[in-house]
Amino acid sequence: MSVKALYDYDFPSADRIENFGNDQLVYVHWEGNPLFCSSACFRVPRAMPFGEFVTAMVHPWASSDPDFDPALIWGWKLFGEPIYPDPAAPLESLGIGHKALLRFTAK
Amino acid sequence: MPRKLPLKERYALLTRDLDWEPSYVSKSDLFPYTSYEGIKVHDWDGWTDPFRLTVDAYYRYQAEKDKRLYAVLDGFSQGQGHLGLSDASYLNAIKLFIQGVTPLEYAAHRHFAFLARYLEGPAPRFAAMCQSIDELRHAQTQIHTISNYNKFYGGFHSWSKMHDRVWYLSVPKSMFDDAMSAGPFEFLISISFSFEYLLTNLLFVPFMSGASFNGDLPTMSFGFSAQSDESRHMTLGLEAIKFLLEQDEGNVPIIQGWIDKWFWRSYRLSALVAGMMDYMLPKPVMSWKEAFELYFEEQMLNGLFPDLDFYGIRPPRHVQLAITEKDKLSHEVYKILHNFSFAAAFTTQTPSPEHMDWLSAQYPDTFDRYYRPVWDKHRRTEEAGGRVFFQGLPQLCQVCQIPMAFTEPDDPSVLSLRHTTFRGETFHFCGDGCQWVFEREPEKYVQAWLPVHQIYQGNCGGPTVPDVLAWYGIQPGDNGEYKGSPDAQSWAQWQAASMAGGKA
Repeated sequence: MSVKALYDYDFPSADRIENFGNDQLVYVHWEGNPLFCSSACFRVPRAMPFGEFVTAMVHPWASSDPDFDPALIWGWKLFGEPIYPDPAAPLESLGIGHKALLRFTAK
Repeated sequence: MPRKLPLKERYALLTRDLDWEPSYVSKSDLFPYTSYEGIKVHDWDGWTDPFRLTVDAYYRYQAEKDKRLYAVLDGFSQGQGHLGLSDASYLNAIKLFIQGVTPLEYAAHRHFAFLARYLEGPAPRFAAMCQSIDELRHAQTQIHTISNYNKFYGGFHSWSKMHDRVWYLSVPKSMFDDAMSAGPFEFLISISFSFEYLLTNLLFVPFMSGASFNGDLPTMSFGFSAQSDESRHMTLGLEAIKFLLEQDEGNVPIIQGWIDKWFWRSYRLSALVAGMMDYMLPKPVMSWKEAFELYFEEQMLNGLFPDLDFYGIRPPRHVQLAITEKDKLSHEVYKILHNFSFAAAFTTQTPSPEHMDWLSAQYPDTFDRYYRPVWDKHRRTEEAGGRVFFQGLPQLCQVCQIPMAFTEPDDPSVLSLRHTTFRGETFHFCGDGCQWVFEREPEKYVQAWLPVHQIYQGNCGGPTVPDVLAWYGIQPGDNGEYKGSPDAQSWAQWQAASMAGGKA
């Protein structure tokens, strides 16, 4: 089904990747931690290495939980699939694209 | 002197004899919006309005109601009535109301004025005109009612600007924008039927009963003043749906689709009310769960829908999903507000032990198991001098625009995260209801102005939290934790002063 309109209804997406330059949005969900109401959203360079993404973006956010211990992070998933990313690899080479959802646990 | 006609006759003349057949333009030029949605109306005179208002009667009633309301407002203001509230934290509910609801009244006023011009039948045009004026009156009287608090408390200024900009207010705003950018019949089903008939008691009554329980006489009086209008609006909603269903069998599936969509859209908006009811009222009225069971399950599902079955209309799609959420909705929503009140024009606080016991009694199946442990952790953190806020921005649902905090129907500990791909781009949803709404009209929802993504695109004042708050119009002290806030401090001083005054 599509929109019923009196004219040709064709508009671009508000969050298409072109609107973010060399960057993209990435969501991160801390599975099993009910202190956080939802996943977080970050804007990051597509070429950012995964390890830097984790230390520069995920750690400061996860530290909202006073019990957060970065050493306990494991079990990364891209959407639902387990991944074992090389910390030096850029996000885009790992298939972590615009508006991808990453999940981890920390126990 | 002209003969004074009976009301019924005057109504008939007003709504029939003031209509005319166009002579120098075609009917479709005069009414260009009433055919493209696929709805067929064979006889506009089939519309009957049980109220049969006329212009003079309408203005007389409304003027009397205004007079009574403004007398209460004056008395409350002159007698420092705000000091008799249950607690200053109660006003967080009223901040949410003026920021989130009052602008919807104004939006409804605008769009009913549009319907008063563009519906083809004279009787529905007149009903839409009355409702348009009602909605304007509601917006104005709410502003006047609540403005008294603006003299003493934070968060009551700039609500109009906030409604256009702030993240949690994009939830009501985008829902109304969705309705107003649809055709006139879809608007009637969305606002008059789904919003004002199916869910009005859940959306509106909690604020008014909350006001009466917590010493807010002005808001309660506003509620009374609006009540007869609201029942007229509910009648318009029910009349609209029955009229359209009776006009043509082909209308039934179209209307069913709109009921499915707009039940879910309105229900998702009501989540904000759920959080307010269970967590923001110092003296709670009834739980969200109890209200949902009474006003929705009993009155609508068991009362209204068996009648609509006659027309071939079934209960809204995803209604079972809403029912499975009743034990958890308010907790999940208040968690969002508590995580993010550093960026809101109201404050939040961890519920007190007594309040948690009330929640536990209201939600025996979920509260102690899923929510109390989290609040206990907040309490421990706060006792050590901290306060947990979400140090970042949340993932939002593409459709309802609420942070994606809702959980799986069968497991309150697992977030329900859905996504789909459209034109090569990924879109995320808070659950099956919003995903279904998106997939009906993806071309519409890809345009959503999602506050988090807009901040990241640089469209909201700058990259830092203070930049964004300044752009939102949120002033220091409007936001954050209630305990120790300017409102809490003023309240403690005023209460101490009136105690001391009482002794002297």
